[in-house]
Amino acid sequence: MKKGVYLLTSLLIVGSLVLSACSDQKDTASTSGSTTQTEQGSKDQPAAAPGGESGLNEPFTAADMSKLPAVAKQRTDTIIVGLTDPSGAFTPYFTQSGYDGNVNSLLFGSLVTVDEKGLPIPDLAEKWDISDDQLTYTYHLRKDLKFSDGSPMTADDVAFTWTIQFDKAYDGDSMVPTLPVKGAQEYKEGKAASISGIKIIDPQTISITLEKPNATALVMLGDKVLSKAYYGKDYKFGQLEYIKKLHSTPVGNGPYKLEKFIPGQEVRFVANENYYKGKPKTEHFIYKTSEGDTWQYLETGEIDYSSFSATTENIDKLKSLGFVNIIPYTPSTYGYLQVNLEHEALKDKKVRQALTYGLDRQSIYVDANQGAGSVANIPSSPISWAYTEDGINPYKFDTEKAKQLLEEAGWKEGAGGIREKDGKQLSIHFLGSKSKQTDIFIAVAKENFQAIGVKFEPEVFADFNSLVSKMESGDYDLVSFSTAMLTDPSDGLVQFLDGEIKAYDNPKLKELYEKGLATSDIEERKKVYKEIFQLLNDELPIIFTNYKKTVYGYNGRIDNLAVSPFVGLANSLPDWSLKPAQ
Amino acid sequence: MSLNSTPLPGTIGAKQPLAKSSSLFGQSMQKLLKNKLAITGLVVVVMMLLACFIGPFFSPYTDNKVNMAMMNKAPNLKHWLGTDALGRDVLTRVLQAGRISLTVGFASMVLSVFIGSLLGAIAGYYRGIVDQVIMRIADLLLTIPGLPLLFIGGSLLSEWKVPTEYRMYIVMFMLGFVNWPGLARMVRGQMLSLREREFMQAAVVLGLRDRRKLFNHLLPNIFPLLIVIATLNIGGSILSESVLSFFGLGVMAPTPTWGNMIDAANNLIDFQERPWLWIPPGFSIFATVIAINIFGDGLRDVLDPKQKR
Amino acid sequence: MSAYLTKRISYMLIILLAASLLIFSLYALTPGDYISNNIKLSPERKAELREIYGLNKPLLERYGIWMKNAIHGDLGYSLAQQKPVLTLFNEYIWNSFLLAIVSTFLTWLIAVIVGVVSAYKQYSWFDTLMTILIFAAMSLPSFFIGLFLIKILAVDLKWLPPGGMLTTGTNAVGMAYFKEVIHHMTLPVIVMTLLGVGSLSRYFRSSMIDVIKQDYIRTARAKGLKESKVLFRHALRNALLPAITLVGFELPALFGGSIIIEKIFNWPGIGQLYMQSFGLRDYPLLMGFTMLLAILTVIGTLISDVLYQIADPRVRLH
Repeated sequence: MKKGVYLLTSLLIVGSLVLSACSDQKDTASTSGSTTQTEQGSKDQPAAAPGGESGLNEPFTAADMSKLPAVAKQRTDTIIVGLTDPSGAFTPYFTQSGYDGNVNSLLFGSLVTVDEKGLPIPDLAEKWDISDDQLTYTYHLRKDLKFSDGSPMTADDVAFTWTIQFDKAYDGDSMVPTLPVKGAQEYKEGKAASISGIKIIDPQTISITLEKPNATALVMLGDKVLSKAYYGKDYKFGQLEYIKKLHSTPVGNGPYKLEKFIPGQEVRFVANENYYKGKPKTEHFIYKTSEGDTWQYLETGEIDYSSFSATTENIDKLKSLGFVNIIPYTPSTYGYLQVNLEHEALKDKKVRQALTYGLDRQSIYVDANQGAGSVANIPSSPISWAYTEDGINPYKFDTEKAKQLLEEAGWKEGAGGIREKDGKQLSIHFLGSKSKQTDIFIAVAKENFQAIGVKFEPEVFADFNSLVSKMESGDYDLVSFSTAMLTDPSDGLVQFLDGEIKAYDNPKLKELYEKGLATSDIEERKKVYKEIFQLLNDELPIIFTNYKKTVYGYNGRIDNLAVSPFVGLANSLPDWSLKPAQ
Repeated sequence: MSLNSTPLPGTIGAKQPLAKSSSLFGQSMQKLLKNKLAITGLVVVVMMLLACFIGPFFSPYTDNKVNMAMMNKAPNLKHWLGTDALGRDVLTRVLQAGRISLTVGFASMVLSVFIGSLLGAIAGYYRGIVDQVIMRIADLLLTIPGLPLLFIGGSLLSEWKVPTEYRMYIVMFMLGFVNWPGLARMVRGQMLSLREREFMQAAVVLGLRDRRKLFNHLLPNIFPLLIVIATLNIGGSILSESVLSFFGLGVMAPTPTWGNMIDAANNLIDFQERPWLWIPPGFSIFATVIAINIFGDGLRDVLDPKQKR
Repeated sequence: MSAYLTKRISYMLIILLAASLLIFSLYALTPGDYISNNIKLSPERKAELREIYGLNKPLLERYGIWMKNAIHGDLGYSLAQQKPVLTLFNEYIWNSFLLAIVSTFLTWLIAVIVGVVSAYKQYSWFDTLMTILIFAAMSLPSFFIGLFLIKILAVDLKWLPPGGMLTTGTNAVGMAYFKEVIHHMTLPVIVMTLLGVGSLSRYFRSSMIDVIKQDYIRTARAKGLKESKVLFRHALRNALLPAITLVGFELPALFGGSIIIEKIFNWPGIGQLYMQSFGLRDYPLLMGFTMLLAILTVIGTLISDVLYQIADPRVRLH
């Protein structure tokens, strides 16, 4: 099995994609065009980009820099990257779109960030301790940290940042409020003046205590830090309205400061001289609002960096531009078909397996995409440290096997070659977002399912919201989705446990999931996740479809560019520098 | 007023006003035949219709079967216009798409012109309370901008459980419905102006009945205007369908329409490298719409009683 | 006249009220709401957020709240953009207006000239050529012609920028800024003018032909008036008459932005903002924008009618 990657829908529509949402668990799914996540890439090739299908396995260096368009040559201290649609509200935890998340990931630093494998590394916190009972996390801040307005950053700011996310008026999409922080519930209900689990030990040290161990808490809590002096000046419990006025004038502690936001056009940044690692090498950075096909902007030199689906022709075209360096990259996501487990036919594991065998995923996701993807069989990205193929059934396309499973499940061929059971026809109502990938899926799946005697009724939605509400009404059998960026292996499993996938209740999985979170030992956790993956691979509460595979094309003048699969370009951006143009 | 006595104003084939005088009809035909541009337009439209409705019967690729071995092939002897990203024959799909696009265009034109001119004429002729009611409804609908209305309509479709196969009819209806108020206003305006003309005052003096005044004197006079509007409208509807497809609100894949075929090739690489994906549907739209428009324009010259060469 | 205006304005208000209720209900009927964008939220969290945003209230109550605020000039707060709706309008509408005013001006100018000359020289080579050219321009889908021009003029020939309104990162001010904007708006303006000029010039040609055939033109000619005087003083005035109803209809288009053109040319206008907001079900913004268009349409209609009366005294206003 080739490990490679691909994305469900988004990338293909336009042949390319601009940067989009950041690490938040927002906006999952294969919405069309531009609403979804993904950026990232990596200089030293995360584990999983091998695979023979795609045209690019190693970074490619621009061959002919003289082809660089004049516009791009003239820039001396500015780097421009496309971003679909930043809205101008840049306060972390309050952003309503992932694009604003991309913006504030440059404006704000985190206590803890993750490396290329998704493992925690220090950022604003120089170290941390986890108590033996896995309940208390203590963060030690670096000395002399400053916000971009020059004011000092202390444990007070961290405490404030945590606290407001538990306010009853908090309407953001942070996952922090889902953590079982001690005393948080009392605070939210207004019964306590502060959260008892948060303790400021000294200006450089803060601890937080959970009621139940959770291995994801370290990174989740170690996120961006808001200035209490700035964002908390007017804070009263239950009233967060005031913070809206501050959205457009962020005060952060990241590598860049906001210089200017031009609605619908640009977000301009200028290097932050107060950044703890020192002022970034390139003075100006710009996110240019650009919808849809970014080819034209890269080709004309209007932007310096963009991501593309790793199809052979995209790669060939990027190479032929001459001035573009290319890095292959595997997003940390997986694509799947959500199965309506409340429907009688689909409750049967055999039917779900039959549909998986009967669907030519290789053709849909790999061949029709010129190798810009690979087939998925477990709820984990191939670049995750937990990824495994050991004991995993690849469900290789096999019409006969599918038919046999359907026979076993009691579905016999009836009128018109459609299988029936108890007088009911076996039909599949599929929902997908409008995209080229969905067109491919429908065309191929229609033939595949017809071959195994299953009636296929596709329905395509122009906007993601309609699709979701259709799904919520229960009128579907399969829906095509892709996950948001997954940092921890447990991220990809939440949907099986929190009721998002209705009617799936597996006590064994719950037990294993808890076990996986109860320890921070990687080897220990790997074993647990392997067991989980094998379980889900057999049960198929959802049908795993594909991994996406993308490439980044960027102006050959940029040095030191690296993109992390988990935090995007934020980590390496301070080091990006522009070589003199030829 | 009974519906069957109402001429279908503005439809290309509306023969009623023509047929009532065979000599006028004959004259008109002669005049039309002399207009080379219009005849060329007509020939193109007819050829397009024939090609789209009969052509696919001669194609070996009508099943639209996916063929991964034949992805994105340039035009060749087996596939005259090449194949698309799923190895389907582009020529066959363009013709099949034409059926849908043409049907949608004609049907929604008939719908909007019928409703629009009828209501507009009635409002303009009767004035008073009838006028008020009709025009206020039109005003109300006109205040809601078209594209947002189509967006909402498109989203509502799934809520109403409209099966994908019937989307085409809904698209027709939506386009037809969105267009009528503007048309009604225009027809009404024309009616108001006509009413004041001398020949109508004469008709009043002669004591002609309402129906006769409306259908024998007023409607024929706005006929040229309706012809122009109707022809532009067919073209417009075909274009609107393609725009709806561009936004994903039109007829859905795998059913091809000219609009969604162009949309499928809507990226720079296909635009540059694979012209056979977008030129055929693009050219089909272009040729059909321009031919319809030119023919309608010629027809207008012929039908307008005031026109003289 | 003033009695007429009073009557018309009260009609307008009633229509706007009816329209606002209709629009509000239509949006409410549209499946999904702002919260359903984020499928990662747990059902409890979704309920909490709907409570915070007031989305769980009954339709009429929500409409009442919206209406009450709207009357006080508060169109609400965009959920997705996190800004007051009016601020957003101010940020985006003028960009749309710029495109629209320039292309509308060019469209009318070209349409009047082409229409009049074509009508006057009916069946001449000029008329035939114009007919074909105009129909050609009218026969291409807007997005198609836009993409096509981007490919040719921006990507291949590099004469014009492919999209946006400013060169990214520019610090241009004054004349340089002005020039930059013109440079960027050329392509979208060309497309919008091309698309608009067709039907309008046909319209002028058609009414001009009608007018030229009228008795009073013949009379004017018989009186021995100069041909140019006949054409411009008598014919054009009467030919433009029906077109005057169209002037008012341009009003919403001037401020409403073009969803398609702005999307294709990445123009930071209100049309694009609306598109995005629709996908997100950002109701305050959608409602505000649609109502703004409704108000402009109603005012435009009034202007049309008044102009019509001024131009053609035979039409009595009631």
